[in-house]
Amino acid sequence: MKSGLRGLIRGAAALVVALLTVPVSHAEAAGGTLRYAAVSEPAPLDVMLTTAGVSLVIGMHVFEALYTIDSHYQPQPMLADSEKLEDGGKTIIIALRQGVHFHNGKEMTSEDVVASLKRWAQYGVRGKLLFTEGSSVEATGKYEVTIKLPVPNGAWKNLLAHLEGGPAIYPSEIASKATEKPIEQADYIGTGPYMFKEWRPNRYIEIDKFDGYNARSNPGDGYSGKREANFDSIRFIPVPDVGTRVSGIQAGDYDYAETISGDLYDQLSGDASVKVVKAGAPLFGLFFTNSKAGILKDNFKLRRAIEMAFCRDDALRVSFGPQALWNAQGSIFPPGNFWYSTAGTDKYNECDPAGAKALAKEAGYDGTPIRLLTSTNYQTHYDQATVFVQQMAAAGINVQMIVVDWATLLKMRGQPEQWDMFITHHGGPPDPILLTFLNEGYPGWWTTPEITALRKEFTSTADITARKAVWDKIQTLYYEQTPAIKVGDAYSFDIVSPKVQNLVSPLFWPVFFNASFK
Amino acid sequence: MWSYALRRAGATAVTLAAASVIIFAFIHLIPGDPIYVMLGDSATPDQVETVRHTLGLDQPILVQYAAWVGAVLQGNLGHSIFYDAPILSVIADHAETSILLASLTMVWVLLIGVPIGMVTAMRHGSWLDQGLSGLAMLLASVPTFWVGLYMILIFAAWLGWLPSSGFPSLLDEGGLANLRYLILPSITLAAPNAALILRLTRASMLDVSREDYVRTARAKGIRPWRVVTRHIFRNALLAVVSAFGFTFAALISEAVVTETVFALPGIGRLVVQSILQRDYPVIQGVVLVIVVLYLLVNFLVDISYRLLDPRVELQ
Repeated sequence: MKSGLRGLIRGAAALVVALLTVPVSHAEAAGGTLRYAAVSEPAPLDVMLTTAGVSLVIGMHVFEALYTIDSHYQPQPMLADSEKLEDGGKTIIIALRQGVHFHNGKEMTSEDVVASLKRWAQYGVRGKLLFTEGSSVEATGKYEVTIKLPVPNGAWKNLLAHLEGGPAIYPSEIASKATEKPIEQADYIGTGPYMFKEWRPNRYIEIDKFDGYNARSNPGDGYSGKREANFDSIRFIPVPDVGTRVSGIQAGDYDYAETISGDLYDQLSGDASVKVVKAGAPLFGLFFTNSKAGILKDNFKLRRAIEMAFCRDDALRVSFGPQALWNAQGSIFPPGNFWYSTAGTDKYNECDPAGAKALAKEAGYDGTPIRLLTSTNYQTHYDQATVFVQQMAAAGINVQMIVVDWATLLKMRGQPEQWDMFITHHGGPPDPILLTFLNEGYPGWWTTPEITALRKEFTSTADITARKAVWDKIQTLYYEQTPAIKVGDAYSFDIVSPKVQNLVSPLFWPVFFNASFK
Repeated sequence: MWSYALRRAGATAVTLAAASVIIFAFIHLIPGDPIYVMLGDSATPDQVETVRHTLGLDQPILVQYAAWVGAVLQGNLGHSIFYDAPILSVIADHAETSILLASLTMVWVLLIGVPIGMVTAMRHGSWLDQGLSGLAMLLASVPTFWVGLYMILIFAAWLGWLPSSGFPSLLDEGGLANLRYLILPSITLAAPNAALILRLTRASMLDVSREDYVRTARAKGIRPWRVVTRHIFRNALLAVVSAFGFTFAALISEAVVTETVFALPGIGRLVVQSILQRDYPVIQGVVLVIVVLYLLVNFLVDISYRLLDPRVELQ
């Protein structure tokens, strides 16, 4: 009995010693596997149907569209080779690149592009922004497709370039049978430099280098140009705790970690064991107002009072930390962007509680609670809402927070009688038409005659200068009718191991084509 | 014994039926919508309704319940909305982590909690007792996320001795050596639970040591250590075994904080994530499996009473 016990103890001790002495593997061979610590598991990777961030980070490596975005946020050909417009912009003829192959080995032709665009037009999140009633797409050659629109759409190229809920090109046999339900994992087949390998829930999603990738010859610029897969594979590992993501990079267990807390920015900026990667484009918080029901419906004066009472610097400081990570500026698009505009921004960040109080009184406000939907799933939303409520109270405006989880908020905001305001955030899209508050069907439902007319004017011309002039008018109207209240630009940041080189600066999402280990 | 087991099996079936109604009703009472989560922020109501119809979530709740129970009785727990995989395989994949983590944790708890509990009981009132009892209280009070983060910082980031997070399956490359991924999380989880078992062992042994038969044993001149192990400890074990059983079951289903901090693919994290995503089939499946686990543990604990103490009658 005693010798058996001793044997057991010896065995256990030997196991512990063996486990402790197994070297923790950090070294990566050239090529190697890049380990990406993600905030969460993604939604399904069918990028036509989702705008979820983690799905897009992975999807950017697997799927491609006809166009993509360069470092100046301008659309450039990706699977397209060239295009010509006819009939005043109502007919778009796109020549496709030849010799592009899908991950299943099949060559991409116009048949695949037409099937994919048709599926996107019918079910894609943003498909109807381009393919309105009376539009069509057809193959006019093995490597040529023709899109016909009832009226010109100046945003067509941007819409075909933005992969978020956008027109990824799938093989025709997959696209033609795909419906409104996300495609199955076995059908995650695109033309990108990496191909889907496996999804092990809560462990990782792995994508492997696609040896048959036919890269463009022009140099890489943003997401456009030559894409080269230098890693053998990339693993996207869900690591929900930010502290673990940071320690994991420092320990060498991960190579890239996304979405780090603002309060760690200064500390990590001076840490030699990591490199800080700041987002190229800001996100901005938006408090949507309800134009369909409730106390704020048609009451533009009361909305203006709310706007007037809101001090952005406080909300941004509380939610994002150091000033290097935020910018309280009123243009919907950030400085340097083609769509940047100061039109109407004199009404941004007035920070005038006394003026707001007077304006609210003038608007007939009687202290009725304004119901603000917010979620704790996004800490920044909750922080901004908390500051907002306190500032409104100082202006005599009674805002009542309804705190729910994100899934509940998404459902509740579709029911106009349930709320007066809700908070979400927005990334800077390549074209204003992709802004959610310009979407008539998006909760908030900004459908006044003025914006309806401007929206039509904005999309009916392809002339970029004319479109910019209309956008200025839209932004002015935005500050007059306040369909949403912009908080301010916030630049998220990620961290990467110093051994990763040639990383493309993230425009919307980080990408790892052309990057490699040192 | 066998008639007892049969009666318990019958009672278990009734409990499971009641649990299935409660699970299904509560999950569908939570507000929120899996389709919005799946399609993202910009999905239109039309798109949402179409997908809802495709997944059968627009059916009356009773129809959905009947379909679910019918499938479960045929051994089919359903299909995950988000993972696009059979729920049994999703649970099996996560159960490996949870069972290994709980087992390793129980090893630490057993090695630390029980012996120290015995020592503190035998040295009742001494500085050793007070020091170790105080330490146990401290360990029970410190939040596991705090302990976990410092474990990662010290042993992974600074010393580089152990991996910071994650857990590859034992079937993956690395095999048995992958258990090293569970050393830090299991120690983190063991800290409060070892403290609990320590306190319980100590209290239980103190109670038993005041019994007449212990006094008699001592009066007969039996060696003190033999009195402790044969007469006190064995009789004090009943309460400890109960706590062991339920601690093990709780570690499998409720280790969500530790699993989140260490990014472990365990059952607790699967449940929380599925709730946030409103992946109804996964929540229903996992909760049902957890209920079965608890019923099984309860049954085994009852049986063990009889093995530990022949005076116990199973009725």
